[in-house]
Amino acid sequence: MMQDYFFIQSQEQFTDVRTRSQYDLALSLAKSGKAVSILLVQNAVLSARKKVDSPNVDALLSHAVKIYADSLSLQQREISPQQLNTSIKPAQLDIVISAMLNGDKVIWW
Amino acid sequence: METKKLTFAFMDPPFENERTITFFRILDAALDQGADIQVFAYEGAAALAFSLQKAHGNSVHHRDEVQEAHPLTKDWIAALQNKAKQLGVNLEWVNCGLCVDERGVNASIPGCKRGSPADLWRYASESFNTLVIGTR
Repeated sequence: MMQDYFFIQSQEQFTDVRTRSQYDLALSLAKSGKAVSILLVQNAVLSARKKVDSPNVDALLSHAVKIYADSLSLQQREISPQQLNTSIKPAQLDIVISAMLNGDKVIWW
Repeated sequence: METKKLTFAFMDPPFENERTITFFRILDAALDQGADIQVFAYEGAAALAFSLQKAHGNSVHHRDEVQEAHPLTKDWIAALQNKAKQLGVNLEWVNCGLCVDERGVNASIPGCKRGSPADLWRYASESFNTLVIGTR
């Protein structure tokens, strides 16, 4: 059975240096043919805005990694859906439970 | 259809980090999807169910206790317990015994038990999936 990976990213890339290695890991998994999804929560959603200079996020998106942004985290930070990178979709937090019930490897960062 | 068990391990204390809010939101979403939930609360999270938590007013902003509506994690746990009961699913909650001793937070609300890391092993072993939310 193919195991999917679902990462919950709560750290913000501009102040948490470790996010680079975390995204590198996700990218490596995607390059090896694994299905990888990432949900941005809390301050991590700041990376989901249009025009944010984020080579890491761009690389993930170019390798078919699905990236979502928690709707409430966006709302709390007054980031509207129109301000989002068009490749990043707003999502409810129940997407985490769906992944767990699907048997994905769900990992919190 | 068989109800799936999900285990969550959490170590953040109440009132300090946004992770705590996200954690409770995830638990609520799990109940909405009909999962049985098992929680192992350790380190600071052992205080989430502390029954002596007290709401308070905010004199700086001239708000009394009711107006301030200070959220207490023990009440959130109780609300989740009630929701689980209404939905007919199980919510088990174990606090790490050493962690509550260290913090003097032994008095937990009903339904939250004292245990040990062996409970996390047991929970994870019998669960369909497990999420560990670590503090950094």
